[in-house]
Amino acid sequence: MQSSENAAERRQRFDKTVGVYHQDMYRYAAWLSRDKSIAEDVVQEALLRAWKSLDALREDTSAKQWLLTIVRRENARYFERKRLETVDIDNLTASQAALLAEQPNEELDEMRHAIYELDDDYREPLVLQVLMGYSSNEIAEQMGLKQGAVLTRLHRARAKLKEQMKRQ
Amino acid sequence: MNCEQYREAIAADPSFDGGAGHLSECAACQAYRSEMQALDQTISRALALDVPQLQMPKLPEIDTTKVVSLSSRRITIPTWLAMAATVVVAAFIGFQFVSTGIEYESLADELLAHLDHEPAALRVTDVAVTDERLTSVVPAHVATMDRSAGLITYAQSCKIRGRDVPHLVIQGEYGPVTILLMPDEMVDAPQSLEGDNVNGVILPVGDGSIAIIGESNERLDRIEAQVLKSISWST
Repeated sequence: MQSSENAAERRQRFDKTVGVYHQDMYRYAAWLSRDKSIAEDVVQEALLRAWKSLDALREDTSAKQWLLTIVRRENARYFERKRLETVDIDNLTASQAALLAEQPNEELDEMRHAIYELDDDYREPLVLQVLMGYSSNEIAEQMGLKQGAVLTRLHRARAKLKEQMKRQ
Repeated sequence: MNCEQYREAIAADPSFDGGAGHLSECAACQAYRSEMQALDQTISRALALDVPQLQMPKLPEIDTTKVVSLSSRRITIPTWLAMAATVVVAAFIGFQFVSTGIEYESLADELLAHLDHEPAALRVTDVAVTDERLTSVVPAHVATMDRSAGLITYAQSCKIRGRDVPHLVIQGEYGPVTILLMPDEMVDAPQSLEGDNVNGVILPVGDGSIAIIGESNERLDRIEAQVLKSISWST
């Protein structure tokens, strides 16, 4: 009886946590992998892993960072397993192209292309800052970098996007 | 703050609210700030992809009886004398449970859960931890260690079974490899350790043990030999 109550509580906690952060998990995965199908796979794997290790999450206030860290790790695992080659923007698969063809808006479309073409080193901290609301300190912790390196990457990322947008 | 410094700060974070003195006197930086904030709005909108409906994977059943919280444990008190002694022991045990929160069925379970709780440790990098860091995490009274096991990219003192344990990460062939030095955790024989996409082993070493956990395709035998050669207990 106690066991089934525990299981129900555990499931409830999981559903609540995932419900709140699912969008963040997917978007983070999508911008890390630059592929919608891969993002869905990565999120599925991340959900499974999160479910199995939910008891290790001590504070629900840390849930977002915990889940995003799992997504990051699953994405790295995915690419390690598949040994995917570098994406050539002129030769995208349908799933990769789908990421760029989100909304019929010229400015956003151009920006999405520009972000897509950023190196991973620049794109990831930008996503964490702009989309996830992370501070440079939190990004440094997530990516295992020094804060100064994060600030430099963010600065360069915006400079590249600005330049790219001017060109288009 | 001059124009260059201000613009660097704004480009790294357009919500930066420092440099008010400079901003009030510099029209060019005011314009730059507005431009970067507008750029960020576009970036934010571009990044906000439509999200497909959540498809929950088939979640395996978890045996929640394996996870026992402190509140469900009962301590019996046979006599006043025993109670006094028990209070001391309970306080110690209580501290351990508060610090970990969870009791695991086996050492292997706790180690695997620990890996998931500290995923930031498992990053691929070529930046080694400093000697100072390594010495503070692996103090001389616990163990002596050289760097021959591999590139040590993470060092942190962690709680395993309520004890402070050096948690190290070296870079293996297929990814980061976790090493946990447990001088007080004796095991009778090597125990293999299997989790999702990981494989590992807990090796008996003197009166303690060392856990080595890598990616599922990592060849641990070579790493085990290197690790055992590089570490010796101080006690």
